[in-house]
Amino acid sequence: PADTRDAARVRSAPAPLTDVARLCVCDLLVAQCDVNCCCDPDCSAEDFSLFTSCSVPVVTGDSQLCNQKAAVYSLDVEANPPERIFKLIDQVNPSIFCIHATNYKQALYLKSPEIPTPENFDRLLEKFGGASFRAEPDSWDLDTDAQNPPEANETSRYEYGVPVQTEDAFLRLPSPVVTSWCSDANPAGFLVNQATKCIRSVSVEKCDSIQALSMLFYINSSILASVFQVDITVQSIVVQSLDGMRTLLSSSDVLRLPMVLDDLCINAVLGVNYHITHTDTGEIIEAAAAFVLGAISKEELSIEQSFEISFTQANTQPVPLSGNPGYVVGLPVRAGFQPQGYPSPAAFLSNKHSQLTILQSTSTQDCLAAQGARAPVLFGYNMISGCKLRITAAMKCQPLAQTLLDVLKGQSFPEYVASFGNSQAQDVLDWVPITQLHISEQMVSHTLQSPCQIPVSLGIEVKWTKYGSLVNPQARIVNVTATITTTTLKQLPSGRERIIPITSSVVFTDISSPAEPSYKAWPTINIKLPFDFFYPFV
Amino acid sequence: NNSSQLSSLPLQILLYINGIYYIFYFLATLAMIIYKSQVFSYPDDLLAPDLAVLFLMGILEVPRLYLGFKGNLTEAEAPLGLSLGLTVGSVVLCVYLLLWQTYVLWADVLLNAVLLSTYGLESGLKITAIAAFVS
Repeated sequence: PADTRDAARVRSAPAPLTDVARLCVCDLLVAQCDVNCCCDPDCSAEDFSLFTSCSVPVVTGDSQLCNQKAAVYSLDVEANPPERIFKLIDQVNPSIFCIHATNYKQALYLKSPEIPTPENFDRLLEKFGGASFRAEPDSWDLDTDAQNPPEANETSRYEYGVPVQTEDAFLRLPSPVVTSWCSDANPAGFLVNQATKCIRSVSVEKCDSIQALSMLFYINSSILASVFQVDITVQSIVVQSLDGMRTLLSSSDVLRLPMVLDDLCINAVLGVNYHITHTDTGEIIEAAAAFVLGAISKEELSIEQSFEISFTQANTQPVPLSGNPGYVVGLPVRAGFQPQGYPSPAAFLSNKHSQLTILQSTSTQDCLAAQGARAPVLFGYNMISGCKLRITAAMKCQPLAQTLLDVLKGQSFPEYVASFGNSQAQDVLDWVPITQLHISEQMVSHTLQSPCQIPVSLGIEVKWTKYGSLVNPQARIVNVTATITTTTLKQLPSGRERIIPITSSVVFTDISSPAEPSYKAWPTINIKLPFDFFYPFV
Repeated sequence: NNSSQLSSLPLQILLYINGIYYIFYFLATLAMIIYKSQVFSYPDDLLAPDLAVLFLMGILEVPRLYLGFKGNLTEAEAPLGLSLGLTVGSVVLCVYLLLWQTYVLWADVLLNAVLLSTYGLESGLKITAIAAFVS
């Protein structure tokens, strides 16, 4: 049939144009005359008479040939009207190393690209079908042989952002570069907590040969740290089934490598979570990886892998810092309690949940219905929130006052606030006590009975200052005052009800004094004559 | 030619000059092949035959010249005949380098033309010498 005959015909790219008389570099517009292009065949004699010069005066082949034809174009401005002169001359290269002849046809021309045919399509697709034509950078591993191995005292201490070194190159955290495809060349930086997701192209047939799908790829090289090498242990393995259900495996010491089973590729790595433990001097002492393994079906051509790395200091509970050392705007204000035994200097109780919080407004706006919805106080963000309290005649004052106090202050209102974003619980002096003030809205009336006061608003004022160098000032909390404003609850006649707004607010005030740059004292010239300078006379 | 001496003096001179010229020719051609491989596109599967031909010619030249000297000086026709046979091989290789090399530079043409003419003249003189020795 016709299509097989077509397929059998050899397809080739158009032959290179070598006739210099027909070659024209400045002929860019099709069927139109290009300005000042003397070799353009679309130009007529009238067009040539309007040209000022020839943009392409000579068209030749390779100048290294000994003897070749050259087409010379010029404008004869003397004639009226100006006309184009076309000459075909023999150009001679006088050099003794000119090419007299060549038996290699492609020597002087650009290589014609291979035209895809049904026969060579698969081969061309394999070679050129990827995002880039270069193979995976295996030179990654070869580079470290050329480098001098790092000195022991250099690897012992890592600094923030320095790539974590392993036996071969760096600890890899595959991440998307430009496109969403995974690049294995992203090193993990020390103390830089990262989480990345990227897409990797897979095929079920070659799944046991794709390195990045196997657990070994992520744990086989050990991390260089001080004198020892820290092996990456497998912390846990979670197996994800095709429908997304995850199961934690009980034994995580068996290495599960990808293999093909019934048109599926099982034990393929879908996610890795590195946990690196370090000391406070920057030495890595432990490394663990938690894997999520999954199955790839035959139809899937790509899977999404997610990677995460987190750094924890040894012997500490990971407490998220709100700044280092000064508070960062937008991070929660850290607070804590003084455990029993004050004034003996004891550590503060501060955990992830001990934050300064205020009431969070809800859609119902009913104070008594809004149970426990609180928002953390973020440094630098002034907040105001509130709710409406419906008072009926039947309500008793004392319980109501207590309930409102709970609504305003929350279940565990902290006693101390961290002065710096990274204040450690052990450093007692880095914590600022919360001053509690009580303002009564109304003066005590002249009635004899003590009126019942209910709190109607809580205002937290946080005074902070800029601390440290002029160039890089750090925010430091100096004073925290919590003011409760109370008002008298007037007894309502039965059947009536009243709605009172309850508000709580947080205000951050900058009390930093204007910075005064201080300069070094001018050096003084210290001239003192020796004691016995005028010896014979004094 | 003196009646007592059958050895050909012109042949001797020519063989001597040929030896010196060949050393220059070999080095120059090798240098030019290296130059061509750097400046032009010279794939390995075309570079190998050119280098092989050059080295083969160099290997042939040594016995060829030796046999020529020996044959001429000892007035023996056998070595001279063998040398003539080797000359035929050298001529073929020289023609290859002149016409069928990957890149034939103008300097290549000059060098090979001179060598070919030397071979031609030498062959003529050798035939004359053999005829003189045989008779």
